[in-house]
Amino acid sequence: MTNQFIGERVRRNEDPRLLTGQALFVDDVEIPDMLHAAFMRSDYAHARILSIDVSAARERPGVVAVFTAEDMGDDWEPGPPLVSPPPTVKDVTFYSRRQAPLVKDTVHHAGETIAVVIAESRYIAEDAVEDIIVEYDPLPVIADLEKALAPDSPLVHDDLDSNLAAHLYQQKGNYEAAKAQADVVIKRRFYLDRGAAVAMENRGIVAHWDEKAKHLTMWDTTQAPIPIRNGIAARLGLSENQVRVIAPFIGGAFGPKMMMFYPEEMLIPWASKKLCRPIKWIEDRRENFYATTSEREQLHDVEMAFTKEGRILGFKDDFLHDTGAYDPYGLTIPLNTQCHLMGSYVIENFSSNCTAVFTNKPIVTPVRGAGRQQGIYIVERMLDVASKELDIDPLEIRKKNFIPPDAFPYNNGIIDQAFSTLIFDSGNYIAAYEKVAEMIGYKQFVKEEQPRLRAEGKHVGIAIIPFIETTGVGPYEGARVQIETSGKVNVNTGYGTQGQGHFTTFAQIVSEQLGVAVNDVRIITGDTAEFHWGTGTFASRGIVVAGNAIHAASSAVRQKVLKLASKVLATPEDELELEDGTVRIADIPQTSISLGELAALANPLRGAVEPGTEPGLEATDYFGPQTGATASGCHAMIIEVDPETLMVNIKRYVVVEDCGRVINPLIVEGQIHGGVSMGIGNAYYEKLHFDENGQILNASLADYLIVTSYEMPPRIETGHLETLSPLNKLGSKGVGEAGAIPVPALFAQALENALQDYNLEILETPLSPNRLFELLHESRMAKK
Amino acid sequence: MKLKGEYTFDGTREDVWKILRDPDMLVLALPGTKSLKQVSENEYEGELQIHIGSIVGTFGGKLKLSNEVPPESITLTVQGNGKIGFVKGTGDVILINQSDVKTLMQYSGELQIGGRVASVGQRLFDVVSKSIIEHGLHKLNGSLQERAASQK
Repeated sequence: MTNQFIGERVRRNEDPRLLTGQALFVDDVEIPDMLHAAFMRSDYAHARILSIDVSAARERPGVVAVFTAEDMGDDWEPGPPLVSPPPTVKDVTFYSRRQAPLVKDTVHHAGETIAVVIAESRYIAEDAVEDIIVEYDPLPVIADLEKALAPDSPLVHDDLDSNLAAHLYQQKGNYEAAKAQADVVIKRRFYLDRGAAVAMENRGIVAHWDEKAKHLTMWDTTQAPIPIRNGIAARLGLSENQVRVIAPFIGGAFGPKMMMFYPEEMLIPWASKKLCRPIKWIEDRRENFYATTSEREQLHDVEMAFTKEGRILGFKDDFLHDTGAYDPYGLTIPLNTQCHLMGSYVIENFSSNCTAVFTNKPIVTPVRGAGRQQGIYIVERMLDVASKELDIDPLEIRKKNFIPPDAFPYNNGIIDQAFSTLIFDSGNYIAAYEKVAEMIGYKQFVKEEQPRLRAEGKHVGIAIIPFIETTGVGPYEGARVQIETSGKVNVNTGYGTQGQGHFTTFAQIVSEQLGVAVNDVRIITGDTAEFHWGTGTFASRGIVVAGNAIHAASSAVRQKVLKLASKVLATPEDELELEDGTVRIADIPQTSISLGELAALANPLRGAVEPGTEPGLEATDYFGPQTGATASGCHAMIIEVDPETLMVNIKRYVVVEDCGRVINPLIVEGQIHGGVSMGIGNAYYEKLHFDENGQILNASLADYLIVTSYEMPPRIETGHLETLSPLNKLGSKGVGEAGAIPVPALFAQALENALQDYNLEILETPLSPNRLFELLHESRMAKK
Repeated sequence: MKLKGEYTFDGTREDVWKILRDPDMLVLALPGTKSLKQVSENEYEGELQIHIGSIVGTFGGKLKLSNEVPPESITLTVQGNGKIGFVKGTGDVILINQSDVKTLMQYSGELQIGGRVASVGQRLFDVVSKSIIEHGLHKLNGSLQERAASQK
């Protein structure tokens, strides 16, 4: 059977609907008698609530109800812990504090929900919010990461002794012994700061409790409809069968929509059940900055031991991680950071000490990259510092330390975010690195073009940064594949979609097994009524975990097809092939039967069936990997910096991506483009500015700068490498976050290279034209 | 956020001091002040309407005066709350004799803002608050001159 599906640039099944306004998003949901919610949120980052007077709000015409924590009575309960601390790491300290639907006594971060108004329209609801009078007793705020651990710091949670949220230490080998043998030890301090995901669509919920049917339907912009269904059912004392969560088309997620049991997510369904009316809440942009999670603030003290030839002997790291006011998401981000601090390199002696800290700032949960950026930024910057100090070419120093292609599977010896040992399954880092260098013409640029342009007074720089990315982690996903009597195929999976192209890539996997056209495969995702089991769309695991479950289920259906067709066509199975929606005899292709006819035969209305068979041509299967698959890649860039405005112009951008078996190159490239644009934003334009009162000073898109087409390179040149993963039948690895991961390190290297005369050493991210200006100024002052 | 500046009044220190301590004068002088009434010797309560970019709203709050050394110096502490956010600040005001008819006022203080006015208006707050203060002092100076003229 010819495979014309996997690896093909198939145009997306879902695009015609999306491009013609035929796709349903949460805000499109309209239900008769639907009410609208608006929240009263705290302006203070830390305050005690002395009183809440909602009487005026309740009197406003059009207001149906106003709820505070007190009104919830016994139903008031903080959200559940989402990810436990890793059971496989020794001596982990973890203090769990979680967000509540409405604040009871103390506000812990600005933007927390104090009260909710349910009214006939959003306009009336917002006006009524302004009628609410809250008396606050403002408390001292702690927003600074380092100061939060000082003995006299205000406490975020006053039932704890300090602002320590968690402590996690991982190590292998013996760093001190390695250090004793080193020729050079390099120490640096790195500061990484917060950015937001800024999806085009903000969060939204419609909850509809039907009192007669005793059933709750909830549309939610979540990456995890099944866990949300389970949790909301439990909170409301309902059976899981009484709750249906639908995550329809979603305008971008990028991680924060994987945070579960947000205050609004707990409150809106409760309110709907209380009032027996459908209720809609759509988050506006300013709410989004405070009320939807963000990520990235860490402070690292790093030490690396080298031989004078540039071989890494050891790596030691101590870091603080800001978890915000609550820590429902466990230690996922710091674990990811720890797992990427060794980058693509052989480092036998490693120690990383993480202290997670509470601050009076919004909750921190993964944003595209989920802690990996930080690890890669640090190891790559340290190699750049070492290359200068040891006077070794920055490409050579990396080639000396890469994990060689024959060393896989490579055991890194520490624990990852899925609680299993960090084992890199396959990869060829040197090949990707050399390929990128060749694609961008590194040698020729450095030898000829760069000196020529510099002589013309242009500040041009080139950079190459390799990276690894852990992907495809468990626990599991599942799918049910069924051939209908029409000959079309239905696939139901618990795995949700927020723009990753699953309606196409998952269909391609099915097409490969069953020989049907890609647009004859209908994928149903994100609806808990359609498939019962699953975890969520996160950590670049769609193709690996859901894709392989679909592969397994389609493969099982294929077996059923062959078994039945073999009987019907009176031919041995190995002489049959599936092509064009039919089963035919390979040597006599005119003898065939369509899949639709076979499906009808498999579900007779009369007669007897063979014992041990199942009706129809349908199979359900699951896939759960033991360890994640490790993708890798390399980015390179040539930029020009304007020395007066410090604005940058990206002249060329090259990516080589190794995500194992590529299902659809068009979609992989789309993921890379999206990731790169977020990476460029993270590196040079986006930063959430908090002041010492826990206030966000740029909570609008006028001041929080996301990348436009002007800031992007003219094109992104992509090359592929495929080192198949031995961990799954498709041989795939994830690629969703890859585009964003190496970019901050890439920018730092490129800017230092472009502004060589200034001898910059960049140890922080995000940067910006303003910040670069300050760094240049400091460097000039230091020279004097 | 730091606020610092100076203004030259056309009058003696004593006259400037009198005007500063007169709530009716301050109401006229500060643009957007809807009310300001004295509730105790050194405390005033009032409402101020603010217009920063697209943010319009009212702050209700308290103004406390302390460290009074007439007619040399005084400290003002302000605390205000509204739908658009909150404001908290302390400022020191010094009056310096420049001549028979000129007094230099120097002010320096710190203002903390939060809520919507901080998130969206932060960039403009600097400029707008300076403008409000300038405008206010200018009007006060006008009242000062009128008083002086009517007394002659």
